[in-house]
Amino acid sequence: MGPLEGIVYGFSVALTPTNVFACFIGVVVGTLVGVLPGIGPVGAMALLLPSTFALHPATALIMLAGIYYGAMYGGSTTSILVNVPGEAGSVVTLIDGYQMTRKGRAGAALAIAAVGSFVAGTIGVVGIMVAAAWLADLAVRFGPPEYFAITLGGLVLLSRLTGGSLVHAFIMVAIGLALGTVGMDSISALRRFTFGSVQLSQGVDLVPVIMGLYGVAEVLLLAEEGIRRASIATVRLREMLPTRLEWRQSAAPIARGSVVGFISGLVPGPAAVLSTFIAYAVEKKVSKTPERFGQGAVEGVAGPEAANNAATAGAMVPLLSLGIPFSPATAILLGALVIHGLNPGPLLISQRPEVFWGFIASMYIGNLMLLILNLPLVGMFVSVLRLPQHVLATLVLLLCLVGAYSLNNSFLDLWVLTIFGIFGYALRKLRVDPSPLVVALVLGPMMEKTLRQALFLTRGDIVELVSRPLTAAILILPAAALVVPPLVRLLRRGRSVAGDRAHEVAP
Amino acid sequence: MLARALPLVVLIAAGIYLSLAIKLPYGATARPGAGFYPTLVAVFACLVGLVAAAQAFFAPRPARAVVAADAELPGARRRVFSTVGALAVSCFVLPWIGYVATAFLFVTVVLRALGSRWPAALVIGGVSAAVSFYLFAVLLDVPLPRGVW
Repeated sequence: MGPLEGIVYGFSVALTPTNVFACFIGVVVGTLVGVLPGIGPVGAMALLLPSTFALHPATALIMLAGIYYGAMYGGSTTSILVNVPGEAGSVVTLIDGYQMTRKGRAGAALAIAAVGSFVAGTIGVVGIMVAAAWLADLAVRFGPPEYFAITLGGLVLLSRLTGGSLVHAFIMVAIGLALGTVGMDSISALRRFTFGSVQLSQGVDLVPVIMGLYGVAEVLLLAEEGIRRASIATVRLREMLPTRLEWRQSAAPIARGSVVGFISGLVPGPAAVLSTFIAYAVEKKVSKTPERFGQGAVEGVAGPEAANNAATAGAMVPLLSLGIPFSPATAILLGALVIHGLNPGPLLISQRPEVFWGFIASMYIGNLMLLILNLPLVGMFVSVLRLPQHVLATLVLLLCLVGAYSLNNSFLDLWVLTIFGIFGYALRKLRVDPSPLVVALVLGPMMEKTLRQALFLTRGDIVELVSRPLTAAILILPAAALVVPPLVRLLRRGRSVAGDRAHEVAP
Repeated sequence: MLARALPLVVLIAAGIYLSLAIKLPYGATARPGAGFYPTLVAVFACLVGLVAAAQAFFAPRPARAVVAADAELPGARRRVFSTVGALAVSCFVLPWIGYVATAFLFVTVVLRALGSRWPAALVIGGVSAAVSFYLFAVLLDVPLPRGVW
């Protein structure tokens, strides 16, 4: 099935009443969690994962992905109107978005953000159609050594790009990998690190870990603030039409942001956040009037908003074509596929085309829904911010408890939730990003299995393992990411020391 | 203090993990056993723990101004401890007193800790316990714990 044939088939799947409804629920929940500061898309996806068990795999995936990209739309609303990012991908939007609100152009900023997100989402869907199908064809040739290289390289790149200290990111990776070894060994069936617990022999479940790290930890941060109400700017529908000049100024940034975002999404790391910073920097660089940035430049809203939406689409490519998630959100989508008995990877397109193409087509439908929902209903979504945050936070905790328990009807999962909630809170206080832990927990078992198979294939020859052409090619980028930045720093330091000495010697 | 505690905790945990991993069958490099990969992970964890500990104890400490920027809001610690405490107690009592009673107590205690008045906390606690039970146990057929009675 070619991409064009596939997408037509995908629309026939995505446009069934059940899937349209699932998509609608997903994007509405996504917009709401995007609007609400503190409760991110990852926590919401983990929270709703157990409720998708009874659904068809395509329907479950459509709903969960709707939350992910819906949050990108919602997050911009809070950034523009309240000067608080609804979620991490909207941090950059508030720089110029809120300045536009102060100048009475809030409606235009919201409209540009929504249209930019829609265009980027559409370009992203086309990107997935082409890139995922191509990568899946290539991945059929991959063996255990290549998969091991991809997982290892992905974790290294993720650690490098997460931001903050590389050592802290590696600590998160080590914890994730160690947690991934708990339970029954997939090859010898030996129980490891279970301390006699039958429940632990199934391993540490991803969902309570994510709920704890993202849901409970965020609520604990909100708990620090106690009762809090936001002051919100009001926007009338007739104010939402941007001027001709604003449309003209936004067109190119939306196109550039879409490309930057999609490419960022392909790379392991916090793509939705990183892409917005890159897009903002690009817009400032190419602008003839960079001094307008930070003062309410519409390009500063259009570029990053397009980028974060395209990044969510780009992040789907490694998940759908290789079965490898490089972010916590796509890790949940992988979890949903596995729970439904699917084998994510290059064969997904041929074996379950209704899931693959239905999911891609649903992203287009979801983006259209979000455009329609976000423009006229922006006032309704923003009114959620008027609800007392501490009541919402408490109810989110209650939902976390129900969600974690209902996964396996296990009290152990409740303790996992609580422990990782406290740990996630401590990480927030230390400004350490927990996403490498989540991705390592998901990739760990795959990494172990492929490493052992690869060593078996090469008769224990590690040099042969890493020197295969494809493996070496895959490992070059992460190796460069590890070695180049410290080398550049050393060179710069050397130059500045030499410069200082020359300065001292000169009369 | 937390910044110094994390590497130490990681180092101790990595040491314990390594001691458990080396007891598992290691196999050979050409035919790795169940303990091969955990040993690699443990060595990696020990190494990053060591580097992090060295950085935390020997690197220059942050300036006072940076520390001051993290100043806590009044009562923040009490609210966080109460919420964590309520969560932990809920995990403990849920098998015994069941979902409805736990949800009611949990929501009431957390809301009260976060600053709600008693009547509001009690009403929201009662309503959220009843509505969530109806939604999950009755409508969505999620088997929630009913307690020992």
